[in-house]
Amino acid sequence: MGCTVRIPSPLRSYTNGAASTAVNGSTVAEVLADLDRRFPGMRFRMIDEQERIRQHIRLYVNTRAATHLAEPVRAGDEVHVICALTGG
Amino acid sequence: MSRGVLSSSELARYQRHLSLAEIGVEGQEKLKRASVLVIGAGGLGSPSSLYLAASGVGTLGIVDCDRVDVSNLQRQVLFDTGGIDRLKAEAARERLQALNPEINIVAHAVELRANNVRDVLKDYDVVLDGTDRMATRFLVNDACVILRKPLVSAAIHRFEGQAMTYVPGRGPCYRCLFPEPPAPGTIPSCAEAGVLGVLPGVLGTIQATEAIKLIVGAGEPLIGRLLTYDALEMRFQEFSFTRRTDCAVCGDAPAITQPKDPVEICGPEALSRVRRLAPRELELLIASAGANTYAIIDVREPHEFAVSHLPHARNIPVGELMRRIGEIPVAATAIFMCRSGGRSLTACGIAVGAGIKSPAHLEGGLLAWAAQVDARFDVAPLR
Repeated sequence: MGCTVRIPSPLRSYTNGAASTAVNGSTVAEVLADLDRRFPGMRFRMIDEQERIRQHIRLYVNTRAATHLAEPVRAGDEVHVICALTGG
Repeated sequence: MSRGVLSSSELARYQRHLSLAEIGVEGQEKLKRASVLVIGAGGLGSPSSLYLAASGVGTLGIVDCDRVDVSNLQRQVLFDTGGIDRLKAEAARERLQALNPEINIVAHAVELRANNVRDVLKDYDVVLDGTDRMATRFLVNDACVILRKPLVSAAIHRFEGQAMTYVPGRGPCYRCLFPEPPAPGTIPSCAEAGVLGVLPGVLGTIQATEAIKLIVGAGEPLIGRLLTYDALEMRFQEFSFTRRTDCAVCGDAPAITQPKDPVEICGPEALSRVRRLAPRELELLIASAGANTYAIIDVREPHEFAVSHLPHARNIPVGELMRRIGEIPVAATAIFMCRSGGRSLTACGIAVGAGIKSPAHLEGGLLAWAAQVDARFDVAPLR
């Protein structure tokens, strides 16, 4: 099932600078797994060793906050990866 | 003239505000009576303080302990070329006072720490956070929650920015959004990653707008809403978030009841144990020492490593270092390197924290290596 993932600026080095990318998956976990297949290493920047969303990352499906990886994703949804920024 | 009543010169200066029903004389007098603290006279603090000064905020405090560097001038519009090397807080005070002699400007040329944050914040009504240090961002949030001060927070990176507003008792705080800072090195600073000069102009101006709205009581602040801005896509988006009952500082049973300094992974104690290798020193060491006596760890991202790296270097991106620290041979001297020497210093701090006694790093990074040792070495640009 195709959806779009919007990539935060600090992780765009993985996507060759692309702000968004098309992936497949019917849950957030599947979406991130597919993202990691396309851009190896990227998932670890968002999900820790205990399979929790990192504390400086938030995930949204469209405008709905995804607090766990089982959150459903439908075709055409946008999954937003929000990362705490440091610059001032 | 009583405090907060506008003089004839102020009535003339602020007439465009006075015409707005949402501000008017009453709102302008509120602005005159208000005090706002701008933390960080950088990319964000420049436009926010200029607009707040121009708008007639009665007392404006500027916190910054740095000096103006030529590389600041691409975005920090508070300063000019003649101000290079001056203390930012002082240069800002002069510039803002020249813009509006009717207001008070207070320069705080200090580094905010747990032991002074209460004292610096206590006399201000609204706090604007535009710091470039994640640790300070959390310290300021915690202090605002504890002191019950409204906080308008913003941050930038390359072409992207974000902003949110915290008002005590009315919504979530910054820790409700991001409970803990990222591991050191996982998010490059503006110095490493670059930033579009005009980007903080947008976000800093949003911060000033929020401060003015809070003071005059107009409109809807960004409470419980994270506003994100992507300059390349020219896209603003909004993501709602709620107060966490388990928030460490504003939750039902807060663990943080006093501002505290975060553990500094790259503190002076850790960094004193780091051996700094000049490119020529490293060249000599590689030529003379046995290959099993040192381990070259290149902490750049894989795409940078793929372009070029030193012989026998292994790639452990700094963001993965904590997890992969076991890959570094214990018997060898770990030599960390990156593009310009920033990430490798962070890596040394992580290594010291993980028990590696005396790590080394390549001073100036591979850019210095290319400049001083091997002109054919192609250093990948940051993306």
